Amino acid sequence: MLEIEKLTVEVGAFRLREVSLTVARGECHAVLGPSGAGKSTLLKAILGVLRPHGGRLRIAGEDAADVPIERRGLGYVPQNLGLFPHLTVRDNLAYSARARGLPPNEFQPVLDELVAATGIGTLLDRYPAELSGGERQRVGLVRALAGRPRALLLDEPFASLNESLRRELWWLLHELQRERELTVLLVTHDLAEAYVLAERVTVLFDGQVVQQGEKAEVYGRPAAPGVAEFFGVETLQPGRIVGVRDGLAVVQVGTAELTAVAASGCANEVLVSIRGEEVVLDRGGGPTSARNVLPARVVTVRPGSPLVCVELDAGFPLVALVTRAACEELDLRPGVEVTARVKAPSVHLIPRGGVVGDTGIAARPSPPD
Amino acid sequence: MTFRRTTIVAALAVLALYAGLLLSLAWFLDLETLRSAVRSERTLFSVRLSLWTATSAALLALLLGTPAAYALSRYRFPGREIVNTLLELPIIVSPAALGAMLLMFFNHPLGVWIENHIARFVFTVAGIVLAQFVTVLGVAVRMLKAAFDEAPVELETVARTLGATPRYAWRTVTLPLARRGLIAAFILAWAKALGEFGATIMIGGTMAMRTETLPVAVYLRLAGADIEGTVALILLLVVIGLAALFATRKLLGTAFRA
Repeated sequence: MLEIEKLTVEVGAFRLREVSLTVARGECHAVLGPSGAGKSTLLKAILGVLRPHGGRLRIAGEDAADVPIERRGLGYVPQNLGLFPHLTVRDNLAYSARARGLPPNEFQPVLDELVAATGIGTLLDRYPAELSGGERQRVGLVRALAGRPRALLLDEPFASLNESLRRELWWLLHELQRERELTVLLVTHDLAEAYVLAERVTVLFDGQVVQQGEKAEVYGRPAAPGVAEFFGVETLQPGRIVGVRDGLAVVQVGTAELTAVAASGCANEVLVSIRGEEVVLDRGGGPTSARNVLPARVVTVRPGSPLVCVELDAGFPLVALVTRAACEELDLRPGVEVTARVKAPSVHLIPRGGVVGDTGIAARPSPPD
Repeated sequence: MTFRRTTIVAALAVLALYAGLLLSLAWFLDLETLRSAVRSERTLFSVRLSLWTATSAALLALLLGTPAAYALSRYRFPGREIVNTLLELPIIVSPAALGAMLLMFFNHPLGVWIENHIARFVFTVAGIVLAQFVTVLGVAVRMLKAAFDEAPVELETVARTLGATPRYAWRTVTLPLARRGLIAAFILAWAKALGEFGATIMIGGTMAMRTETLPVAVYLRLAGADIEGTVALILLLVVIGLAALFATRKLLGTAFRA
């Protein structure tokens, strides 16, 4: 539905460089990145507000370069929702039909369905200023969907909501997207939001795509140190591949040796990335399927909710996330000796120094001079 | 003195200043002169002429100023900075100088051609409207631009994704959101045009029953040492101006939902 090929956009000193991504019909794709990465710039170029300096944009197979905004058939919900403050909810929702010169009842069946599905039926005569944050969100979504856009572009639309309301709306959007097979491009800096809503993820850093793929793949195997950092991977340590054993890489990290499943073509200098949830702690214990069994000493225990963060010295700084019950059972205190187990597939290696792996994923670029 | 009090005293000083000026008129006020002045054919003509020219000039300023201000607010185009700077011209140059410039324009070949083939401006009502229009246009565009600056561009984008052409989005979203600024710009332009003297007298002259606006009439009375008559006309100008401003605010204020 949306095909973006090597799109380059310049806004002042900022440059979005050769961004390529494809959103299939009925798919939700998230563009993830810290603020200032160029996410909104990308959306504006797709919408037609900004003119790209290079590359190609196709909407439903048609080249969209010279198509004005109103004929691209894209629904858009910006961060502040863009509800028209001088119009009632009803008039906001009817705007699309009126702007296209259609009889107001043209979109009515779709609109009625959406109004019912989102539960905003009682708000129709109110003005946007009289709505709560969550209500505004629903109205913004329904209005964008009323004209049956070919794709829906969302620019951090849930950023201003509290946690529980945000989750509620994620599920609402998720349901709408599934039921109506909506094509959605979601821009967000919230990892959880991308994980819940999207099937595929593009990670944008400094105006460039650093990683792209299935969400689980991107989440579990960040392609660049910056991505891992951005995702909040707990353990991120420099290492060096010292050998290959049974098709598995042996990595020297600090004074410890780890076994990892390495992508072929990986450079020797790597960054070892281990999610805290993947580290299992025990006292002694018998044989295990985990390839990495490391004697470790507890350095600090930071209580968190719901997981406790245990910082260990396993020859290198290693962080484990365990439940409070496990923490009490194992009597984890600073100085206690434990065994840390990590399965080889959970030890993820990120090439250092801009080497490209066989997945075709580029490492994080060095920032522009 | 507290900060709050200092500011309130300043506000009251403003009131005292203008109230003092108005009250000093009372010293010279002669009811009989006022009555006859208000009733005289010549004064009524001046009132009508002033209302008519000021309203025309303000409307023209809005007509040209609104799209111009929108362009200045939204688009980057060659000459934008120069336009932006020139808007201050009528404020820097005195109105009399502006009127003199107009007069000179109509004495140079292009101006003469316009006078002969399109319309006469020198010593005519059209000239008065033109003088007032030129004087108030700069301020009107400034205010209109500020009004458009406050209407979010994002809403126009959203409107367009909903199928609106740029023109439709402007009419249905930007314009309603900028309406307070538009009303304020019109009121200020109108009030400035009503009291305009320097440029008006330069191009319109001082012909009774032809080009004599109220401010010009005030000047003529004073020049003729007719103090009571001057007072009467000033009061008339003040009353008409304030009443009209009040009425416009009321009218436009209720015509649009806040």
